[in-house]
Amino acid sequence: MAEQHTTMLSLRGLTRRFGGLTAVDAIDLDLARGELISIIGPNGAGKTTLFNLVTGLDRPDAGIVRFEGQDITGFSPERLAAAGIARTFQLGRVFGNLSVMDNVLIGAHTRLRAVKPAVPLIGPLLELGLALLRPASVKAEEERLREEVKVILARFGERLLPRIDQPAYSLSYANRRRVEIARALALKPRLLLLDEPTAGMNPTETAEMQGLVAELKAEGLTILLIEHKLEMVMRLSDRVIVMDEGKKIAEGPGEAVRKDPKVIEAYLGHGLTKEQESAA
Amino acid sequence: MSNIDRRTLVKASLSAMMAGAAFSRAAFAQSSEPILLGVSGPLTGPNAQYGTQWKQGFDLALDEIQAAGGINGRKLAYQFEDSQSDPRQSVAIAQKFVSDPRIVMELGDFSSPASMAASPIYQRGGLVQFGFTNSHPDFTKGGDFMWSTSVSQADEQPLLAAYAVKRLGLKKLAVLHLNTDWGRTSRDHFVKAAKEYGAEVAVTEGYIAEERDFRSTLVRVRDASPDGLILISYYSDGALIARQARQVGLKQTICAASSVYSPKFLELGGEAVEDVHLGTRYFPEDPRPEVQKFIAGFKKKYNGQEPDAFNAYSYDAMNMAAAVVRIGGTDRRAIRDAFAKVKDVSSVIFGQATFDVESRRVKGAMNAELVVRKGQFALWDGKPT
Amino acid sequence: MSSWLDYTINGLIVGNVYALVAVGLALIFGVSRLINFAQGSIYLVGAYIGWVAVVQLHTPLPVTIIVVAVASALVGLIIERFGLRPLQNSVRIAPLLATIGISFVLDQLVMLTVSPNPRALPSQLPDIRFQIGGGTIGPLDLLIAGVGLASALLLFVFLRYSKLGWAVRATAQDRDAAMQMGVDVNRVNQAVFGIAAALGGVSGLLVGMYYNQIDTAMSLQATLKGVVAEVVGGAGNVPGAVIGSLLLGLVESYGVAVFGTSYRNLFAFLLLVVVLVLRPNGLFASARQAPPEPLTGTFIAPSRPVRIPRWALLVAAGLFAVLPFFPVSFYVLQTLINAWLLGMLALSLTLVAGTIGQVSLGHAALLAIGAYTSALLSLTFSAPVGLAIIGGGLMSAALGTALISPSFRLRGHYVSIATLAIGEIVSLVILNWESVTRGPIGISGIPPLSLFGYELISPISIYWFSFIVMVVLALLQGRLLGSHLGRSFRAIRDDDVAARAYGLSLNRYKSLAFIFGGFAAGVSGGIAAHLYSYINHETFNTQQSILALTVVILGGLGNVVGAILGAVALVGLPEVFRIAAEYRILIYGIVLLLLVRFRPQGLLGTI
Repeated sequence: MAEQHTTMLSLRGLTRRFGGLTAVDAIDLDLARGELISIIGPNGAGKTTLFNLVTGLDRPDAGIVRFEGQDITGFSPERLAAAGIARTFQLGRVFGNLSVMDNVLIGAHTRLRAVKPAVPLIGPLLELGLALLRPASVKAEEERLREEVKVILARFGERLLPRIDQPAYSLSYANRRRVEIARALALKPRLLLLDEPTAGMNPTETAEMQGLVAELKAEGLTILLIEHKLEMVMRLSDRVIVMDEGKKIAEGPGEAVRKDPKVIEAYLGHGLTKEQESAA
Repeated sequence: MSNIDRRTLVKASLSAMMAGAAFSRAAFAQSSEPILLGVSGPLTGPNAQYGTQWKQGFDLALDEIQAAGGINGRKLAYQFEDSQSDPRQSVAIAQKFVSDPRIVMELGDFSSPASMAASPIYQRGGLVQFGFTNSHPDFTKGGDFMWSTSVSQADEQPLLAAYAVKRLGLKKLAVLHLNTDWGRTSRDHFVKAAKEYGAEVAVTEGYIAEERDFRSTLVRVRDASPDGLILISYYSDGALIARQARQVGLKQTICAASSVYSPKFLELGGEAVEDVHLGTRYFPEDPRPEVQKFIAGFKKKYNGQEPDAFNAYSYDAMNMAAAVVRIGGTDRRAIRDAFAKVKDVSSVIFGQATFDVESRRVKGAMNAELVVRKGQFALWDGKPT
Repeated sequence: MSSWLDYTINGLIVGNVYALVAVGLALIFGVSRLINFAQGSIYLVGAYIGWVAVVQLHTPLPVTIIVVAVASALVGLIIERFGLRPLQNSVRIAPLLATIGISFVLDQLVMLTVSPNPRALPSQLPDIRFQIGGGTIGPLDLLIAGVGLASALLLFVFLRYSKLGWAVRATAQDRDAAMQMGVDVNRVNQAVFGIAAALGGVSGLLVGMYYNQIDTAMSLQATLKGVVAEVVGGAGNVPGAVIGSLLLGLVESYGVAVFGTSYRNLFAFLLLVVVLVLRPNGLFASARQAPPEPLTGTFIAPSRPVRIPRWALLVAAGLFAVLPFFPVSFYVLQTLINAWLLGMLALSLTLVAGTIGQVSLGHAALLAIGAYTSALLSLTFSAPVGLAIIGGGLMSAALGTALISPSFRLRGHYVSIATLAIGEIVSLVILNWESVTRGPIGISGIPPLSLFGYELISPISIYWFSFIVMVVLALLQGRLLGSHLGRSFRAIRDDDVAARAYGLSLNRYKSLAFIFGGFAAGVSGGIAAHLYSYINHETFNTQQSILALTVVILGGLGNVVGAILGAVALVGLPEVFRIAAEYRILIYGIVLLLLVRFRPQGLLGTI
């Protein structure tokens, strides 16, 4: 029973095949509340597919996903977002034509109450009516969320606040990643999945991002992290899981995993990139 | 602004405009400029071919009218505005014509949606809308400014039914019709008349104008085992159906509405339209002088091209317009009244044409019973095919 | 029983004809992910080149085919080089619009050269008929089948075993990767367009001979049927296109058999919608594929909208409001009334296509629903016209949303194809549901516009009425865009995957967009019905849908002011070009092409 309370996310035998290829092969994983687990592995190891399975963007062919003890296998992403699961994307999926403010406000969408009355059937029509009429309660909610967004953006120092009204497509690559994380935070997630948050960032920016993730972890947020930069992985992670060709080939504390011959094999066998070599 | 204020303003601005229009019209009556008719019709878009055919008929008629001294010494001319047979454009054209004091009468549009959408504007603007191809039964109900020389299908279809049933002796009919307002109205009149004459209508099939393949339709027709096929078609689809009927081995007598009467029908149909019967409003060997004049003049003007039904409609319409303007002058209301006064105008389609004041259409079309023989239209000699 | 054999054979014969166009479409889609709306125009060009060869030059059939293939391929190469290649790095919607513009230009050029009269194109094969079942087939049937199958087979071999074919397939799978691997993507595109155009031209020739008839209106029908067949078979799948075509032919033939001729196209488009809903990747795609990568910011042009100061808008609105006090002709007012009605439709479409990214090609259906509802309410139930129009708007909102909802799970071009089909279905239902809509006879005697018992008859009062309704709708829409819904709609448009991951239900928000947009379009249709006094199934046709989309693109997707500006421009320009008479559609097509090329985000930019 105690395990039930501390385990936030648990995967059992999670499997996803594309034609002849098994992208995710019988993965088991337990993530405790407040824990940060990193998933590493060569490109094409199935890490992002695993994220997609957990967040409902893709459905597994076999296996079970449990969140807070509830079986959420095959739930729609909308439902999972409402349950408190937020994620960022590997390729940086900001809403290009929306301002930074609007991008982050979308993150808070599941928390809208006043404008989305929980009335069955005619709820959507009421939502349309309230959006057009904008009574005081709706205005107040919107104002409150806007203030919250500013607080979240302030976490990134002067990176985003001055650009709050600019469209996201005009931002630098690194800033788009930050917007994604801000958007995820606006959901007030219980579980945060970060897919390569530092991809394409220079060392200074990487260090900043690492600081931020550490901060979030310190605040008690439960985090699942995909990351290539091993130094960051070693610093932040409670545990590390190594995937290769869809399978989990190693799991444990960072240092132990790092010395695992299977892991070294997997990396060398696939050809280590320069960046990973130096980071390792 | 209160309601009353606005209404007053509207009226004021309206009357100001009317005054301006009246003034310029008065000034215009003295000039030697041509008398101008407005034409609203398709020159582009899917019906463009019909607008082109109209022009040929108009131009021939105008040549003859000018050669005969014009209208009381003044030339007659038309201003053709392309509507694509689209109601949105025909209403704008209607306002343009109504507010252009030089225009004394309007001809067109081609399709019912385009014509009838513009009717309220012509009616309120007090400009005659002379819809010479508008067979829709409700067209002339739009108001007393709507006149038409389009043969009422209530008149035409019984003639075709009589040809098919009484003269050709067909007893069990399959009717294929264009599924437009014209085709549908025609079908209803035809079926009613055919039944009165004692024939059975085994099957009716409506098809859309873009249809090209009728094989499956013809299987339905075959399964109804009729002894005659009735085509309520234009020449291009009529030719397609005849070809495919022969290809799938249907050998029944085919009898078609007058709208297939076109050299194109023979060209497109080839051998398949041999022995097709059709009722028409005129035919080349018709000894009437107006017909011979029309055909000879047309061939001369257009390098030997044979005229077709749409050329004849527009030729007649222009001559009718000239006759009306001769009586009514250039005043729009007088022109409307003149439609009721014109008598026995020589025409290709109607012989001596006179309007029925009640329906505002021309009564009683001429009817010739033709058959295609050796690739030519010929008067039917009464021999079975 | 023998009849069913005949229906089957007839279905296959027609499917055979569709296949020729579908294969070309599939090839182009396979490589450039583009539905080439100009394919029907190339088919038209091929038919007329064939006509010149056969009737004027008396070439024998093999020579005719070669002449047509080469000439059409040249047209294809020109289209690729000058129409599409400049758009390579542009937004994904740009080439789609460009092919629509190209088809306008080609159709008009043919019409201006050879006149719109239909022509006979005699078959050059001996007229032998073979008895099969209750019907016959001739050598041309076999030739068409032969060309269809042979070209599909040749393409298959070419794609599998030749070096260029390999490059084509690589480009189809991943353009960037192929480029990095040294594939000359331009050459691949050229090859594909050349082959597809040659095939399109030859199919025009053969089909023309088959019916002994060609005319300039045949291009749109060819494109429509080809697109249906191609999508049914799985876009980009060449053998699938052949099978899809045969299936389409069969469904149409059986539809005729069971329900009658006027239901034929209804079955064609229903087939398309059913396939799109159940198997969005076509009948022959594998059921589960990797989720597609997002089209983030690539379907819609990223742009900074032009900010028009509020006072300028107020001044403009004020000027238009007082316009009738100045001595302008009723013709100008009527033209502006048309612009306001089109403006309402454009507001609707800019919300649906621009703000939430569902590029609809069947929007005229919403006009038709509103128009018929309003007309019938006022005629049958003697409802006051003002209320009837609102009823039309509500019906359009409800019925339109319900009809379109199956396409909510589709993306990109598939949405356009599905909405095109739904638009056609609505029009065909209106044609066939005679007890309610009076079928082809249409509804006449619709009472004129009136408000509180006061008839709006003068152009001035109609002008004010339509202007005020449009302004109110525009203001409401502006308010909507400024709310959380505007934000949510735009997020779904930019990246529906990320939007879902943040809790935005696509069904809910797409429905809301269509409800709001459907209302505006329905009101526009309702006003039009009372203005025209007569409507039938042809009053609101596909051309209207395409015009509305052009307006929306011209103004800038999602841009409220842009939609109105675009409506004024596109109603006004053809009127200005009246002097050009026959040339004006040509000019219109060229303007569209230039716009897509040089300002794909529209005049005022995407919002």
